[in-house]
Amino acid sequence: MTATTLLRSESESLDSVKKSNLLAVILKKHPPAFTFLLIVLVVLTVGLINPAFFQLAVLFDIIRACTVLGLFALGVMIVLAAGGIDVSFAAIAALTMYSITKVVMTYFPETHIAIILLAGALGGTGLGMLNGLLVDSLKAPSLIVTIGTQYLYRGILLTFVGTVFFMNVPVAMDNFGKLALWRHDTTEGLHAVLPATVLVLVLASALTWWLLNKTLMGRAVYAIGGSLAIAERLGYKLRSVHLFVFGYAGCLSGLAGIVHVSSSRLANPFDLVGSELDVIAAVILGGARITGGSGSVAGTLLGVVLVTLINNVLILAGVPSTWQKVIVGSFIVLAGAVFAAKREK
Amino acid sequence: MHTESTSPTRAASADFLRLEGVHKRFAGVHALRGVDLSIAPGEIYHLLGENGCGKSTLIKIISGAQPPSAGRIYIDGVLQAALTPLQSLSLGIETVYQDLSLLPNMSVAENVALSEQLVKHHGRLARLFDSRELKRTAARALQAVNLPTTAAFLDNRVDELPIATRQLVAIARAIATSAKLVIMDEPTTSLTQKEVDALIQVINGLRANGVAVLFVSHKLDECIAIGGQAIVFRDGAKVAQAPIQDFSKAELGHLMTGKQLSQARYRVDAQCHQELLKVQDLTRNGFFEQVSFAVRQGEILGITGLLDSGRNELALALAGVEAADAGIIMLDARPLVLKTPADAIAHGIGYVPEDRISEGLFLGKSIRDNIVTTVLRKMQGKFGALNSAACQQLAEDTVERLQIATPDVDRAVQSLSGGNQQRVLIGRWLAINPRILILHGPTVGVDVGSKDIIYRIIQGLAEQGMGVILISDDLPELLQNCDRLLLMKKGRIAHHFDATDLSETDLYHHLVSDRN
Repeated sequence: MTATTLLRSESESLDSVKKSNLLAVILKKHPPAFTFLLIVLVVLTVGLINPAFFQLAVLFDIIRACTVLGLFALGVMIVLAAGGIDVSFAAIAALTMYSITKVVMTYFPETHIAIILLAGALGGTGLGMLNGLLVDSLKAPSLIVTIGTQYLYRGILLTFVGTVFFMNVPVAMDNFGKLALWRHDTTEGLHAVLPATVLVLVLASALTWWLLNKTLMGRAVYAIGGSLAIAERLGYKLRSVHLFVFGYAGCLSGLAGIVHVSSSRLANPFDLVGSELDVIAAVILGGARITGGSGSVAGTLLGVVLVTLINNVLILAGVPSTWQKVIVGSFIVLAGAVFAAKREK
Repeated sequence: MHTESTSPTRAASADFLRLEGVHKRFAGVHALRGVDLSIAPGEIYHLLGENGCGKSTLIKIISGAQPPSAGRIYIDGVLQAALTPLQSLSLGIETVYQDLSLLPNMSVAENVALSEQLVKHHGRLARLFDSRELKRTAARALQAVNLPTTAAFLDNRVDELPIATRQLVAIARAIATSAKLVIMDEPTTSLTQKEVDALIQVINGLRANGVAVLFVSHKLDECIAIGGQAIVFRDGAKVAQAPIQDFSKAELGHLMTGKQLSQARYRVDAQCHQELLKVQDLTRNGFFEQVSFAVRQGEILGITGLLDSGRNELALALAGVEAADAGIIMLDARPLVLKTPADAIAHGIGYVPEDRISEGLFLGKSIRDNIVTTVLRKMQGKFGALNSAACQQLAEDTVERLQIATPDVDRAVQSLSGGNQQRVLIGRWLAINPRILILHGPTVGVDVGSKDIIYRIIQGLAEQGMGVILISDDLPELLQNCDRLLLMKKGRIAHHFDATDLSETDLYHHLVSDRN
């Protein structure tokens, strides 16, 4: 009897869902669908105003611009999913990229790119795990901890490592930045180049998806994001998860730093500052809740594409760059409203 | 595996769990005072006692959530020096917590069966998890508690489920693994009688498989229906242990409270005057239809029915929380518009919700702040600032009037026992000087001693001329307190009883019979 009554009430609720519109159902099941709609909207708008938008070179430019933002966003998303927040990723990236570039330039100019990427990943992981250790042992809110450590990391960088630009970067990094996965020369003599650096984002996305969906650690991340106290009671080791999520976010930040230096072919210790809110905006637009316990790789990537589009292509539609902020802001408020409505049900 | 035991009643090697001289001290509180306890496989135990007697602390110690201050814990005869939640789980101790401890953002399948995988890998997280195995385990456990096992239900997020279903999911988690001891802390608070019957089947099945069950409940009738050993706690110590059939309800109540409790009706000699509230053909589509009744001054009207009977929705409509679609509500023969809780408050209708934790109290706030929240406007002093002296006075008066056990009104509500929390909530509504007070499950999760006090308060309010509507599942509660009873079925009033000459058996029979 119990089973049948429950089944009945469930099917009734499904019926009532059907009665409301289809869009609401899709949004409820897949929050990133909203992000996708916004992307389509932006692409169509820009494309209608300026048909030059629809060409390979623009697409590849967007992909290039997505790479660093995407790596950061994946890290922030996994920390958010575990119920925390990390605002130190840009500082981690700046410290690792500048230190490694300096060491390689000064002592080992012939280092292979694989070693450099590995060093970036390891350096970032170390700094990230320090965040995790502090969050876990101080039992402090991660926002406070990472605001603190981002000043710390940046201060260390500028005080002890250096403040001077490297206008030249190591050969391996330079080559990596120029390496093309695919190259297309149009009849008008324009080059459309798909950069190899995007591979780092592709691999990182695949790895993140696998970690979140196929490993117990991934489940533990969502469990802790759902409720720290309950997860602890159920036997999840909070310290392991904290070390993992912050370490992993640090690792992606370290990689992002190396990719950034490689593709911009200069190492500026003042770079990446101020990109924090763009990244968090992308993750939130990708459907992750700021309160934790949710977030997906696909959604995050869509959020990254959306923010990148707004930051890079609105100019093609003749929108002044100052208006980009207004649009990003409106989209976030809109996303907040849509996702809040979803939560009501 | 085998050790000597001091337990006089059974052979040592048979005990699955044994506690010796367990003490627990919190800051200033001696919550457990030297508890000796043994649990044998295939036995059912009922841990009985008032709120604050140490039951919850005992459960936390057994499940590894808190270490004891002194004493020894043996599981399968092995001394456990420092028991963690994971160890307790992997040794076969499963707990259905009172708060259910479900992860709201995860699926039913994950909530039911992830623990098994965690235990299998000894808590190491750098492991793959087997999603097929997860679903198989979950489906098996869900079937045992009569929940659906469809893919859609397995993938449903837990926070989208109704509370009764969540309670069953929490029970399913406890039995998903090969548990040796299942602890159930108030597992039936949101369940209907039929679901409780199904749960009793589950418990009997567990017993047959040699699993011990430690059942914690305030519902003595349920405990007696299940049978097994009664373990009675009072003030952090075990005061009695024997088969539950050996006790009468009055004896158990006496053991738990240390006082003699009467089974008699609280309601005597009702002085009902003129009609206060009149409800005519009230309808909310899909929930209840054409409900008509009246409440007189000083009268206590009980409303009961199964979970899907529409009684909850009726209460919400009267409180202005979920407005009705049609019908008339009249107070003093004048029709009212009740669209929001503020409308209800303005007309002097107070509503004490069923779930005091999520719908009522601000747990982290002080008793004072919780009480004054409905009357903030009246508490305004100069420039619209709160008159703190008036707030203090109101809070202190309420604490005294409702016998809330607290040293001062600055205490956070979460530091109080369930019964005292409930009284704070009632006190908040008394602050508006209601003419009609709707009480929804006023003693859910409240201990026997507190029930007594709450009943006396309700009677006192009626004597002062308030009209009281008591919505409850607790049949003795209704019979002891009300003048008249309405029984709802499928959204309609199916029966109308005079509570003075109705027996519990009759009422129960009418409640569960499928005929109207």
